[in-house]
Amino acid sequence: MSGSEINDSEGRRLSTTVWTALDRKAGAVIELTIKQLRNKTSTWTVFGVSTLLLILLSAFYVDSVRDGFESIDNDGDSVDYDGDGYPLGQERKYGSSDFNPDEYPGSGLFIPEGEIYYNGPRSHTGNHSWDADGPSLFSGSWDNILDYYPEADEPCPEIIGEDLENTPYGWSPYSCVMANEDRYLQFLRFEGNGTLTVAQGWYGIYGVVTERFQVAPDPPEAYIDEDGIDWDPDNPSSSQGFDDDGDCTRSEYPEQIAADNDDSNRNRIPCDVLWTRNADGSVIQIQPDMLVDEDPVDSELMGESSHRSFIIITGKIAFTMIIGIFLPLFLALGLIRDESENGTLHYLLSKPIHRGEFIVYRLSGYLIFSGGFVLLMSLLMAFVTVFLGPDGNRLADFNIWFGIGAVTVLSLAAYGSIFNAMGLMSPKYGVYLALIYGVYEFAMAVMTLFGAELVPVISVSHWSLQMIDAVVLVAWPDTIMLSQMSTAFNIDSGLSFFWRPPLHTFGTGSPALAIGLSITVLMAFISLPILVGQSIFKRREID
Amino acid sequence: MNSTPAIALDHVSKWYGQVIGVNDVSLAIDGGVTGILGMNGAGKSTLFKLLMGRLRPSNGSVKLFGTDPWETTSPYRRVGYVSESEKMYDWMTSLDFVSTLARLHGMTRYEAEKRAEQALSFVDLEGVLNKEIGKYSKGMRQRVKIAAALVHEPDLLILDEPLHGCDPLARTSIMNVIREMGSRGKTVLVSSHILEEIERITEQIVILHSGKLVALGNLHAIRAMLDKHPHRILIRCADSRALASTFIDQQSVYGVRFIDNESLEIMTKDLSEAHQLLPMLILKSGIQIYSIENPDDNLESLLGYLVGDA
Repeated sequence: MSGSEINDSEGRRLSTTVWTALDRKAGAVIELTIKQLRNKTSTWTVFGVSTLLLILLSAFYVDSVRDGFESIDNDGDSVDYDGDGYPLGQERKYGSSDFNPDEYPGSGLFIPEGEIYYNGPRSHTGNHSWDADGPSLFSGSWDNILDYYPEADEPCPEIIGEDLENTPYGWSPYSCVMANEDRYLQFLRFEGNGTLTVAQGWYGIYGVVTERFQVAPDPPEAYIDEDGIDWDPDNPSSSQGFDDDGDCTRSEYPEQIAADNDDSNRNRIPCDVLWTRNADGSVIQIQPDMLVDEDPVDSELMGESSHRSFIIITGKIAFTMIIGIFLPLFLALGLIRDESENGTLHYLLSKPIHRGEFIVYRLSGYLIFSGGFVLLMSLLMAFVTVFLGPDGNRLADFNIWFGIGAVTVLSLAAYGSIFNAMGLMSPKYGVYLALIYGVYEFAMAVMTLFGAELVPVISVSHWSLQMIDAVVLVAWPDTIMLSQMSTAFNIDSGLSFFWRPPLHTFGTGSPALAIGLSITVLMAFISLPILVGQSIFKRREID
Repeated sequence: MNSTPAIALDHVSKWYGQVIGVNDVSLAIDGGVTGILGMNGAGKSTLFKLLMGRLRPSNGSVKLFGTDPWETTSPYRRVGYVSESEKMYDWMTSLDFVSTLARLHGMTRYEAEKRAEQALSFVDLEGVLNKEIGKYSKGMRQRVKIAAALVHEPDLLILDEPLHGCDPLARTSIMNVIREMGSRGKTVLVSSHILEEIERITEQIVILHSGKLVALGNLHAIRAMLDKHPHRILIRCADSRALASTFIDQQSVYGVRFIDNESLEIMTKDLSEAHQLLPMLILKSGIQIYSIENPDDNLESLLGYLVGDA
């Protein structure tokens, strides 16, 4: 061996300063750590399982989410409950019931003209169609008792005087002819010319039955996606929406019965949608009147919100909660503990390298290796969703996947540092400590998903999940609106459950602030266990 | 040469709970090869671990080049250490292993590789640089460890049982390396529990027993002291009785014991004189000799003599 000066491959003399030496030591430990992790079976097992999970999720995405973009009858008016061949929407238009096969568009409708009401006179005389709601007595000529009833022609058993309230026949349609030729009836519709007397506390309606006419049944598809969301982002007015199918205003309906003109959002404009916007123009609340914009085109709204839900769910559950916790459990727990148990630690520590420094380099090696895997996986997922996602600007998907990758790398760092410290704290029981802590983190993540704000604050998963929420808002600023739309228009895409506006923003709602705060807290979760680990490791004797 | 010795121990003790590993050892070593002799459990490894900052002394102070190795790692720049542990990164090639450890001294990748190649060829492993360590024989593994300790050209080399379990070829190779390092003026500390091994490497020895330093100095001087101590010489020959009669009237011999017709044990208090006489007496007797052994010429006897309980 000679001590002569060694030049680099291009013949330059190598300069050595404290910094370059530090750099080289770091490089060596990081490289060794990566090589060691690469040589561990458990590494490839956990990588394999993670990849499999993501492949399955992608398959689910292709199979369910992408295929799920077909039109859905969001307001459920394309069904035909009574089986008369007319869908509910068409029955509504004609005012007929969809629970009675004898009633259908054109079947003849009962149009009320007046009623025998609770506080008015108890009887009415005329030639009408009658609707007796309770126990009643009819004198005159009658016809066409619409509700056939087997005992209708039987004589009445015994009706005591005029005491009509003494109704021995229960709560069902019934009629019988009394000894004086009057008819006792309850809960029946019939036609007759005479006088109807209704018992105290009950009411009856009289009117006409319209003429029968022929109406061709509409196909059910006519009532799917028939009332899309009419929103003009450039229109500053808060009143938006148009009742395309007319089931709120009923203005275009063939039968102008009981025009609804609902104003449940109380903005004094019937049948519209109230969009409340922030000072920056972002939509924060959507309140529609009943039956306005209730059946939007699913490939437009449902497609986009399902797509986003899939990415958010995958990011939160698969990346942050599963990969984020399991990868460090397998790879970081033994970063130093295993070296010491295998009896190889002394090779590294008999070199001029501080133990504290050593922990940081080991963790860096682990982080580069596991983080590289996570970033690669998020890039692959980005390709899946960008190429298979619904139409639109899918470039934002790359940003969101990069964000999810970055958040997961931060949680890998935090868990890595925590688990490594646990391995150092108790080489024997560290694995149990780490398992308990992993379960705790998972529980806190579930609480966070359910919207808990305070309890999960002391957990890595809480801040990681909040950071994903914030990243989503930065990459897709209209997510608040989309989530509001999903809630307002009853679109069950999971977006409003799995995504919430970031919780901790000091009331500003700023996603940038939420990201900053999350990074700060996660940094504390990373550095604190490193300091604890360093102080334990510095005093540890290596026998 | 710097006035600070490479190694300085001042009343160092190390307790493992109730058990003492090193007991009040004071020592200063600088330059040349020093053998640390002691039976298994005598405290050799503990002493080395204290020197390498792996253990913290319970009492006293340990200094490597004037610096406490428990507090700071800076002395390791000048120290190469081969531990007794046989565990290695079996999946690595020896070049990879040695160059990785070299980089921990702040060398560039290129420089580390060059130095690793040099160090490995210095221990005669140049032909198998790119073979995985797991496929090496025990002696080769030991030499890889030595190469890793030498790669940064340390001023102090600490070798814990480097010859343990090695085949004769590897032993010779390792011994040559140690002697070469010593001849270059480096301080080399090498431990063993076999006297003969150390004898072939160096004359300067430290003897540890039950954690205590029992002797320090030149092996020949210690041996000379030992020669004045009752010694046995075991001779296997064709006729032990006939041979015995030739020894009886010798001054240096104070006892003869028959073991059987072919074995004879001679007791002496002056081993060197007895050895000088032996060839002449055997020649005179004309009896055929099968073997001559010195059963007391080992570490146990030496220790027995030094500690006084043999």
